[in-house]
Amino acid sequence: MAQRANPGVDGPLFKRALLGSLSWLSTNHEEVNRLNVFPVPDGDTGTNMLLTLQSAVEDIKESNAAEVSKIAKLASHGSLMGARGNSGVILSQIFRGFARAVEGKSSLNPAELAAALEEAANAAYRAVNKPTEGTILTVAREAGRAATAAASSPEATMPQVIAAAAAGARAAVLKTPSQLQILRDAGVVDAGGFGLQLILEGMLKTLEELDSSIEELTASRPVAPAVASQVAVALPEEGWGYCTEFLIEGSNLDLDRIKTQIEALGNSVLVVGEPELVKVHVHTDDPTRVITLAGGYGKLLKLNVGDMSTQHRRILESEGQTGTAPRPNGVGLVAVVAGNGLVDIFRGLGVDAIVEGGQTMNPSTQDMLTAIDSVPYDEVILMPNNKNVILAAKQVPGLTKKKVHVLETHSVPQGVAAVVAFRGDRPAADNLAAMRSEAERVQTIEVTHAVRDTRSNGLKVKKGDVIGLINDKLEFAGTDYGEVVNKALGKLGADSFELVTVYRGKDASDDELKKLESDIRSTHPGLEVEVQQGGQQHYPFILSVE
Amino acid sequence: MKRSFAVVTDSTADLPGDWRQRYDVEVVPLKVIFGEETFRDGVDINNDEFFARLATSSKLPTTSAPSPGEFAELYTRLAKDHDGCISIHIGAALSATAESARVGAQSVEGFRVEVIDSETVTMPMAFLCKVAAESASLDEATAAVKQRVPGCRVLALLDTLRYIEMGGRVSRAQAMIGTMLDLKPLLLVKEGGEIKAVDRVRTRSRAIPRMIEFFESDMPVEYVGVVHAQAPEDAERIAAGLRERHPDLEIPIGQIGCVLGTHTGPKALGLVYLKK
Repeated sequence: MAQRANPGVDGPLFKRALLGSLSWLSTNHEEVNRLNVFPVPDGDTGTNMLLTLQSAVEDIKESNAAEVSKIAKLASHGSLMGARGNSGVILSQIFRGFARAVEGKSSLNPAELAAALEEAANAAYRAVNKPTEGTILTVAREAGRAATAAASSPEATMPQVIAAAAAGARAAVLKTPSQLQILRDAGVVDAGGFGLQLILEGMLKTLEELDSSIEELTASRPVAPAVASQVAVALPEEGWGYCTEFLIEGSNLDLDRIKTQIEALGNSVLVVGEPELVKVHVHTDDPTRVITLAGGYGKLLKLNVGDMSTQHRRILESEGQTGTAPRPNGVGLVAVVAGNGLVDIFRGLGVDAIVEGGQTMNPSTQDMLTAIDSVPYDEVILMPNNKNVILAAKQVPGLTKKKVHVLETHSVPQGVAAVVAFRGDRPAADNLAAMRSEAERVQTIEVTHAVRDTRSNGLKVKKGDVIGLINDKLEFAGTDYGEVVNKALGKLGADSFELVTVYRGKDASDDELKKLESDIRSTHPGLEVEVQQGGQQHYPFILSVE
Repeated sequence: MKRSFAVVTDSTADLPGDWRQRYDVEVVPLKVIFGEETFRDGVDINNDEFFARLATSSKLPTTSAPSPGEFAELYTRLAKDHDGCISIHIGAALSATAESARVGAQSVEGFRVEVIDSETVTMPMAFLCKVAAESASLDEATAAVKQRVPGCRVLALLDTLRYIEMGGRVSRAQAMIGTMLDLKPLLLVKEGGEIKAVDRVRTRSRAIPRMIEFFESDMPVEYVGVVHAQAPEDAERIAAGLRERHPDLEIPIGQIGCVLGTHTGPKALGLVYLKK
């Protein structure tokens, strides 16, 4: 530690610290996943945070920036692009707040670091509509406060400040069950908060073991599961060209000028970064020209050129999708959904691009952005169709030139109801109002098996039990699908509804389906029952009641 | 005083209640064919019999226009005590009936027949018959009816797309239903017999308010009525609701006959009107 007798946190050190965080979170993210309060197979918080952090350090690995502000800015941007799930999005806002706090600084003294950690937590609070205590937000705030307290001593060293932040986080995590009833019931601590604790601990470990090589630290990094964001849109006449991506390393790079020049050569242009390091993304017919142009500014790194025409043709052929006539209102539709049958249903209703994802596979902001950019309309309505995807979806509008409206659908039935209400001859505002009102009208019943013993919403649930959720809330547990569904229908007041649509999941057998149908019909003879092959994972049955 | 000219229509006009007698309208039946058996719409088979048979028939029936000979026969008979006739028929885009009438009329010498392609179907044709019947002369009737043809509208709520799809009149894509979900399309028959999807809904009770909403956005109207296929309560409810909101409108109720019923299927509902 001698060489760092009085070190500030500069670019290289912060970079190392983040790589240490990644390594530590990567080793322990399954632990985070296990902290699932709900007995349903849920968006895995640990995986979501890990993928978000991976995206945060992705660009940093290529950067030799000396200033902490530049590394922080890259982390902020990378985490935002890769944010998945609620905790991932909040993490990206923490990075954003940190980057703002250290703007213009080449290195941080202990007090500045502590202040930046506090500001990071404040930024995260501001980003969330209704901040809830007992979550990652509380943990971020307590970490910042502990760091500030430690930094107030004139002898404070950097490792002491980070150690205080990590300890503050740990203490806050342990207190989360006393703040949130659902955690207390389930007997767990908050997963997102624990993830943040691991990130701070990872930084601390790095500071303590600075002699280990970065390569070694990152060697155990698992490969991120791919989330396909296939899109099915008509092939434009000029073709898709090549998706061209690279980083430009140089000095005093003029982002606006580069952007203007790149825009003349293609579409879906993204030029972001710093005067020293710029990330460029463009869909172009002439990648050579783009590369020549960019090469004039500096050294090109991570150059990647993909033939999108081939990719798209392959996807389109395999799905037999044909183009449709352009809509008079110029509004496109993008939906997040998983399961073959559900994908077909959404496509059949006129959705232009599907982002594969949902309950356990939360797509990133980038996945949604890619789908939106692929749609041949400048105005797009995005339907997350899952409560765990909403927050990531809400980041998208700020990241594209297209006008994106996020319609906050919490479930597949809400998404279907909303799309049915969409009309291609009506302006977006009118469509949104109609879609929102239809989505709110429909009731959702989800049926699955408890993945662990727990207590939630006053119900004692044993692993393997059939459980029924009404509008995201666990309401009934039992041993039989029909029994649980009929209880749920009874609670909703089946008499005031007309139609039940049963979306059959991948794991439901023919016999189970038949039995469920006849159980519903015999108990609620006034309801029409329609069965659709949903093909969704984890939920043997999703029911739409309207 | 008896009119000097006759008013003729076909069975797809779905004349409500006593309009046939009240306005003295001749109705030429189209045909509905179940396998080997041919029935004249409303003559050999009534609506209840038809829908009962439709429900049990494994194969969907087909329909056909009256022959020119049948028109010629009618026009010859009418020529005895009328000096001309106006013959108002289902849209030429939907059926060969108007063409058949035109050919039939040519074979009746010395009798003036004004064949009108109504460009529509069901009760707007009945309104046109009423307009014709209340005119003082054949010239006046012809002018008054032709002027109203472009304003004829049928706003139809089908309970299922199955029948109209099988009949080849509307594809799922046209009806904005490209999915396996059992959506209920709201279709509008406009001038020229063009069928356009205006909305799609998941349940019938949600569809009816939409229908009324669309209709009210298309006001003012000269005439409006409700038609139904074996759904009298729904039709009655819609008519009562409309009468309450628009006390100046009369709103008669008609039944969708066998030929149109072949394409709409049971439980179809329609708001039919003549735009002002």
